Amino acid sequence: MASKEQREQFKLYKEDVERRGKQFYPYAMFHDTIMSFVVVSVIAALAAVWYFTAEETAGEAGVLGPRYAEPADPATTSFVPRPDWYFYFLFYLLRIFKWPESVILGTVGIPTILMMLLFALPFLDRRRERRIVRRPVAVVVALMVIASMGILTYKGATAEEPSATSGEALLVGNDMPTDDEQVVAGADLFAKVGCLNCHAYGSQGADGPGPDVSEVGDQGKGEEYWVQWIRNPQSLKPGTSMPAFPNLTDEQLQNLAVFLEASKSGGGGG
Amino acid sequence: MPKTKSKRQQQIEAVALYPVDWLEERSGLIGGLRYFLFRKVPAETNWFHTLGSATLTAFIVQAVTGVILAMYYKPSAELNPETGKPIAYESIETITNDLTLGWLVRGMHRWGASVFIILLFLHMGRVFLFGAYKYPRELNWLVGAVLLLMAMGEGLTGYLLPWDQTSYWATVVAININANAPIAGPFLGDFLRGGQEIGSETLTRFYSLHMLVIPGGLAGLIALHLYLVVRLGITPPPWTKAAGGYEAQPNGGRPARTGLVNPSPRGNGNGGRERRES
Repeated sequence: MASKEQREQFKLYKEDVERRGKQFYPYAMFHDTIMSFVVVSVIAALAAVWYFTAEETAGEAGVLGPRYAEPADPATTSFVPRPDWYFYFLFYLLRIFKWPESVILGTVGIPTILMMLLFALPFLDRRRERRIVRRPVAVVVALMVIASMGILTYKGATAEEPSATSGEALLVGNDMPTDDEQVVAGADLFAKVGCLNCHAYGSQGADGPGPDVSEVGDQGKGEEYWVQWIRNPQSLKPGTSMPAFPNLTDEQLQNLAVFLEASKSGGGGG
Repeated sequence: MPKTKSKRQQQIEAVALYPVDWLEERSGLIGGLRYFLFRKVPAETNWFHTLGSATLTAFIVQAVTGVILAMYYKPSAELNPETGKPIAYESIETITNDLTLGWLVRGMHRWGASVFIILLFLHMGRVFLFGAYKYPRELNWLVGAVLLLMAMGEGLTGYLLPWDQTSYWATVVAININANAPIAGPFLGDFLRGGQEIGSETLTRFYSLHMLVIPGGLAGLIALHLYLVVRLGITPPPWTKAAGGYEAQPNGGRPARTGLVNPSPRGNGNGGRERRES
């Protein structure tokens, strides 16, 4: 509950506004109206720059990006996902925290803590004081949050995507023989359907959110397991963040499974 | 003669004002509007205080352009058998390239979303720096925080609607992250996807969330937010005298308390002398 002092302060504020204040209309509303015109003009200007510098062809970017990318195609997963800019900071958190023990911190932990702090703020800081120089803790915390979100957004915006590579390069990089046709075909698929966006393989690929799979064959799970895993991960491990790849053919899945089984420590069984 | 003229004026006035009076008598809305417009705000109200109404303007831009887009957009991931392209994607192409000023409506909706989010953050930063979340405005801070999260939800759901590669794959990742959360995660993932994979079901779900559920919540909470602003008043900037409190006034302008914690100011008579003695 509010203290007696707080109530008194608020009453004094109300009296002060009645005595010295000015009318909302026209004084404050004048500023609001001008600001609203500025906002609408800026939005329209952004729309014009975006439209007139980009081409009608999909993916032909202008100053502010393309009008649209290629149509969504669940079958070609080599596309690198990118959220809208205000999710970049979350997007980059996924790269900082490594699979599997701490990725939950990046996806759920830190965003939840930030959200709870946001909601708790008026109950954590209950002092009446509003002058900025007399609120050092609040200001320092605010600056730190702004700086870290700014840096994460910048890093997310400029993060280099793992480049698509050939299956052969993958095998060579992991000291594996390149003579088995099925293994090479599987490695090619691995490089092209987007596995490297989440998994590391040898020196290639991304450090997260998925685990490093260079030596995944050591687990001895068998080819059938990998076929089922890639087709529908949820059926084997409910709640996993590994996406399903239902559009791969049986042959493609088989090749991928052979490739993964062959990926063993010490150069793939060689 | 002037007497009859003024009588006629009175009659005209009465006729003109009749609907206004009728409405006021039955709803009190006119009185509410008058109160809203002619209420007093602190004399120090300045340009920083326009960020809130600027955010509201951005929301109205989103609402108007969104209504127009909904007239032409087709939320279907099915492929058009003639062109082989998804129907939703084709409707976006048509809106952007073929409809009169369609590019402007879609462009303003697309970029208005970013401007809306930026203004929300600036407005929140202003409220934080001004300490405007303190008593008795805590509830309005909470409402604002929910508004921010809902606006980001609008961004997330709206991003999928063009059904192009960028939106599709960003949504794959976003849904997987949500599904990864403990306890509620898998259910949330299934709910958002509408099935095992992301497809037509997901698109219609996101469309419904994007244009019915979240905007409805946003509009209601914005109304509550504004009601609380009008009821509780605007916080003067932190560099004004009011920011430290009004303690000087209750006891007639004299310093409230002197002593070790809060020494008496210079020149009030005996303060200096006491210090010299000790």
